[in-house]
Amino acid sequence: MSDYQLKEVKALSYQRPDMVNGYNDQSLYINLSDQEIAIKPVAEKTKKTFIGGKGYNLWLLWNAVQPSTKWNDPENALCIAAGPLGGTPIYPGSGKSIVATLSPTTASVIDSNVGGYFGPYLKFSGFDALEIQGKSAKEVVVFIDGVNQKIQIYETRDLPQNAYALSAVLTEHFAGGKPRNISVVSAGPGAKNTLIGCLNFTWYDPKRKRARYKQAGRGGVGTVFADKGLKAIVACWDHVTAETNNPADKARLKNVAKLHSREIVELDPKQNEMSKIGTTHLVTIMNDHDLLPTHNFRYGQHSQAPNLGQEVYRRLFDPGFDGCWMGCTVACSHGIKDFVPLTGPYKGKKVFVDGPEYETVAGCGSNLGIFDPHTVAEINFYCDAYGLDTISVGTGIAFGMECFEMGLINETHTGGLSLHFGNRLGALELVHQMANGEGFGRIVGQGVRRMKAIFAKDFGADPEVMQDIGMEAKGLEFSEYMTKESLAQQGGYGLALKGPQHDEAWLIFLDMVHNFMPTFDQKAEALHWFPMFRTWFGLCGLCKLPWNDIVPEDNKDTAEPAKVMKHVQWYADYFSAITGNEVGPEDLINMSETVYNFQRIFNLRMGFGRRQHDDIPYRAMGPVTEDEYESRAERYDKQLAETYKVDIEGKSSAEKLAILRKHREAQYEKLKDAVYKRRGWTPDGVPTQKTAKRLGIDFTEVIELLKANGVNS
Amino acid sequence: MIQVAGKQIAWREGMTVSDLLDELKDPHPYAVVRINEQYVTRPNFEHILIPDGAEVFLIPMIAGG
Repeated sequence: MSDYQLKEVKALSYQRPDMVNGYNDQSLYINLSDQEIAIKPVAEKTKKTFIGGKGYNLWLLWNAVQPSTKWNDPENALCIAAGPLGGTPIYPGSGKSIVATLSPTTASVIDSNVGGYFGPYLKFSGFDALEIQGKSAKEVVVFIDGVNQKIQIYETRDLPQNAYALSAVLTEHFAGGKPRNISVVSAGPGAKNTLIGCLNFTWYDPKRKRARYKQAGRGGVGTVFADKGLKAIVACWDHVTAETNNPADKARLKNVAKLHSREIVELDPKQNEMSKIGTTHLVTIMNDHDLLPTHNFRYGQHSQAPNLGQEVYRRLFDPGFDGCWMGCTVACSHGIKDFVPLTGPYKGKKVFVDGPEYETVAGCGSNLGIFDPHTVAEINFYCDAYGLDTISVGTGIAFGMECFEMGLINETHTGGLSLHFGNRLGALELVHQMANGEGFGRIVGQGVRRMKAIFAKDFGADPEVMQDIGMEAKGLEFSEYMTKESLAQQGGYGLALKGPQHDEAWLIFLDMVHNFMPTFDQKAEALHWFPMFRTWFGLCGLCKLPWNDIVPEDNKDTAEPAKVMKHVQWYADYFSAITGNEVGPEDLINMSETVYNFQRIFNLRMGFGRRQHDDIPYRAMGPVTEDEYESRAERYDKQLAETYKVDIEGKSSAEKLAILRKHREAQYEKLKDAVYKRRGWTPDGVPTQKTAKRLGIDFTEVIELLKANGVNS
Repeated sequence: MIQVAGKQIAWREGMTVSDLLDELKDPHPYAVVRINEQYVTRPNFEHILIPDGAEVFLIPMIAGG
């Protein structure tokens, strides 16, 4: 154990309010520049309009920043919130925290959701949201002690740098013998030295007697955290029951929670076995459908993919209960016990790896041409410990590897690393370099958008080629699904507010495998309904997995199986039972639509949020290279001949590639038109004044902004 | 015999996943089934054989992210 110091420099005692129907109606504000600690009321109108969670974060952030604010300006706010349903221990998946801030990589609003105990403990301590502004010159730990009703800021010395050790030290330090009462949020050296830092949110695992963690990964939220001089934020709360949220109708809550919880216990073993293998079942399923990204999203399939599949992780995962929130029956947060890294500061020592999940396996495995589960586990371990987002790390290194293989960059630029696909030690070396802010890893740690600019300016690489193969949009790296053959999922990524993350819409199977949405109007309807419903989970502090990863046995016989309407109704009942506001499924969509449109308008305010910002690289739409075309020539030839009525006789692969590209790019633009129309936006992708008024977000500032951008009705 | 979604179904030599789905007359477009602990996806339904005594789960695969 390190010999560290924590010196209190500011404290505020407070009176915790009585929770009423899932709300405290106040937020906690901390300014690290002058160590101000303040408790602020939440206005009734804010509550009605923004609901909670991500909605509250966006409103706090909107009021904190200006259009000119940059991610590393002191006024940028880092906001964390649960939501009115968050912290309910009897309803599966009710422990999510949502983080929002201005992103270092996108320069606009980013939101990222995460498990662990912090969000519920923050709320039970008396705060529906936490807003942190300012910057501290010295590293600080913020302690939110809901038990003793005290907020403290500590200056720190000699605490461990990495989140793996730091989480353990701070859990023990603040626990007072009750480690389950503590949740630690921290980043790590990688977050400080890159722009793709993640945040680790802990939960204490009593069986394994260790602090474990989940990650808010996307968009550099950990980098903002580290830049503010935050070492950690720690929350403490004691006893959690179904009544801690003080629900409006306890009997109704218990009834609906029991229905959903029992269904998962009964059906998960018959369906995807997430309580045993997490999301790793997706690896071989995606591979078989040509959807698993390999070699920087060139291809969707590889013969060695089963090496990274659920059969392997079923053996590697340490058996036992792995719920990242109390009482969750999905319990999918698995890990590997007694793992021994081959590299880095933990080389030769036994560690516990939290993960991997599907995204990490695909991003740091198949997409790098690495089909060794131990290397994936080691990259997973170090990314978490260093505070690095495994998705951006994977997609960034994959881009670097393809540039290396194409000769766009060489060993002179990589510091001697032979960065071919499949170079396991090279990938690990880059992760360590990112943590230290040195070597070629320092460049990869800037994210794909900046890598493209640096490669072009400093290394003379062809910018047009890199634009096609650099898998980022809006400045955010793609998460790990192939979209070439699913136009709807191209929209699911490209039209997502924060950038290409699958949490808004995952439509690949519905579109490509089941063919549930053959027309543009059907795709547009799906790209309206699914992002809206999925947004609702982030408003309320919930995980979406119980909604559609375990589904009722009779779901397939319902009118709209993709929506799992039985569960949507349960969620409406759940919301009604906690808050006392009687709602139905349509009301959930309306809540989300309000916040969703507000976020789009927020993007506009920051200089984005228009049609051009919804563009995606061509690699996401179709084959970039002749090799890619020829590897699936039958598929592409058929589409050219049958769908586009092109006479392909005698045409070279290069010619066919160019024709296919023209058609696919046109299809994507047509999709944008259909979706914007469905969402009540202008053809330039901006919500109309009419839409803003309908949703109750026609604040003076919003209307002025829309007018200034030429939207006058 | 094999067990499918909790029901006993007669097994025969050479029975594939496609054969089973035809026999069940279930119109749902399954993308994935699970035979004991082995996941089988639609591209492989026609050539993967179901062993006698297997437990088969029909996976309503609509989610992924």
